[in-house]
Amino acid sequence: MSVVTQTDPLSQTTAAPPLPDILPPPKQRGRIMRFYVGHPAIAIGGLLIGIMVLIAVCAPLLGTVDPTALAPAKRTRPPSALYWFGTDMLGRDVYSRVIYGTRVSIVVGGAVALLASAIGMLIGLISGFTRWLDPIIMRIMDGMMSIPSVLLAIALVAFTRGSIQNVIIAITLAEVPRVARLVRGVVLSLRDQPYVEAAVTAGSRTPMIIWRHIMPNTLAPMTVQATYICASAMITEAILSFIGAGTPTTTPSWGNIMAEGRALWQVKPYIVFFPAVFLSITVLAVNLLGDGLRDALDPRLAKRL
Amino acid sequence: MIGYISRRVLATIPVMLIVAALVFSLLYFTPGDPAAIIAGHQASAEDLARIRTALGLDRPFLTRFGEWLWNVLHGDLGTSIFTNLPVSRLIGERLEPTISLMILTLVLSLMVAVPMGVIAAWKQGSLLDRAIMGFAVMGFSVPVFVVGYLLAYIFALQLEWLPVQGYTPLAQGFWPFLQHLILSSIALGTAYVALIARVTRATMLEVLSQDYVRTAKAKGLGQRAVLFVHALKNAAVPIVTVVGIGVAVLMGGAVVTESVFAIPGLGRLIVDAILRRDYPVIQGVVLLFSLTYVVVNLVVDLLYTVLDPRIRY
Repeated sequence: MSVVTQTDPLSQTTAAPPLPDILPPPKQRGRIMRFYVGHPAIAIGGLLIGIMVLIAVCAPLLGTVDPTALAPAKRTRPPSALYWFGTDMLGRDVYSRVIYGTRVSIVVGGAVALLASAIGMLIGLISGFTRWLDPIIMRIMDGMMSIPSVLLAIALVAFTRGSIQNVIIAITLAEVPRVARLVRGVVLSLRDQPYVEAAVTAGSRTPMIIWRHIMPNTLAPMTVQATYICASAMITEAILSFIGAGTPTTTPSWGNIMAEGRALWQVKPYIVFFPAVFLSITVLAVNLLGDGLRDALDPRLAKRL
Repeated sequence: MIGYISRRVLATIPVMLIVAALVFSLLYFTPGDPAAIIAGHQASAEDLARIRTALGLDRPFLTRFGEWLWNVLHGDLGTSIFTNLPVSRLIGERLEPTISLMILTLVLSLMVAVPMGVIAAWKQGSLLDRAIMGFAVMGFSVPVFVVGYLLAYIFALQLEWLPVQGYTPLAQGFWPFLQHLILSSIALGTAYVALIARVTRATMLEVLSQDYVRTAKAKGLGQRAVLFVHALKNAAVPIVTVVGIGVAVLMGGAVVTESVFAIPGLGRLIVDAILRRDYPVIQGVVLLFSLTYVVVNLVVDLLYTVLDPRIRY
């Protein structure tokens, strides 16, 4: 029996020069600028969303008049210096209506993204951690996902009264299953990871494991998902309002401005045109931000899609 | 194979039951009272109670669900509150335009989207690739009714090439039928094309880096043979998956497209029903769309085994 002697390869390499005690602080501003240059989608999308939020907040200051003020004598005026986007068939100023309509889209998009993420996260965590509930919850989610989300939202709003709250609830319910599935997937893939098992062995309680080990890992995919939900919520709100089941006509929203312009669109296309442009640009901005975040946060996913 | 197919078909039954239960509970948990809608504003409390008993609204959830499901299985979707006609008949009258619109959109979209995705992947990083991907992001972002109005404005109002709105049944000749549907199909298909093109490109990029593609190139096969025979065939499963999932986008979009182009289909039916609060009609249309969606995805699942013989569950 012979003992195999091995020379340790590490012992022969010379040690690296010691690092200085204090590293110079990285230049913060340069890094932020470089991030935006490296991710133009985030920069452009973020900038456009910022402008839209600003428009929504400052709507009364942007040269608008009361968006609901009727002026029957000034019906369907084409765009001019006085009425930038023209007036609709009740004489209301389309520019003011479109500017105020920004509020509805921003609020609905933001609220649905937050609510759907929070509820979906909760359901996904429960499903991922409670083995006996998991099949039940997931079958219900499958069932909800089998109803096309726009139709589910239409049905939910149709069965309640049209109001912004109900629109938000309806779209949120339609979006929750996707988030729940995503979170559950992450939980299941992490639950068997050695570091989570180590935490379990070490006696960490489940809420602590969720908070310290699971939640941080869902953050990146959730952020991306929330952006896409925001974009799709804005479109769904516009669809609901467009078919007359969404935001009540007393509150101007891009969808219901278009709905009201629908009867006249062949002769007065501008009533439909301006809200359409605003809606498209906003949704495009949110989608750009989502794509950018996906590329930045999850390079693996970026390569796949 | 037959065992697999029957297992898959059986597995969709619980999903369909859950969908039916969800659609039914939509009406059950509604804050509004259907009896009050039928009775009108001047009804007394006794009238309401009588209508409720007559409609069976006072019985427990499971009893009503069981009865409703039994009727649905027999093709009875209830009676429209507004027109007093059977919902199944109303749906039957509106089926043709919607099915025509969806099928035409599906065919056109596939014809455009798959080559787009393949070319984008083949010329990865080129200007063409960027243009196609740019279109894909735009296609997702511009809502279907915006595309619809834009197309109608340009091709129908300005150029006068095509009719603005309306629908002609296939029975009155293929050309007028196609003329009326082409703009709405393009509008409806935009988001769908974007979705499919994106997934096609991503999958093709993955496949094109595989060894067998290199081998195919090395043995001197032409570009077209490599792309469409060796690569696309192996990229088929994810593409077919997204085609199936995207049908939900088509169904949601059809509701709006039919409103824009005045097509008398199921979308118009549900929009009119919403405005009249005709709950049984809404329920029926949503149920029909959802069950169709489940069946479409079942077919996609079954296609997997044809497209990729390695898949055996």
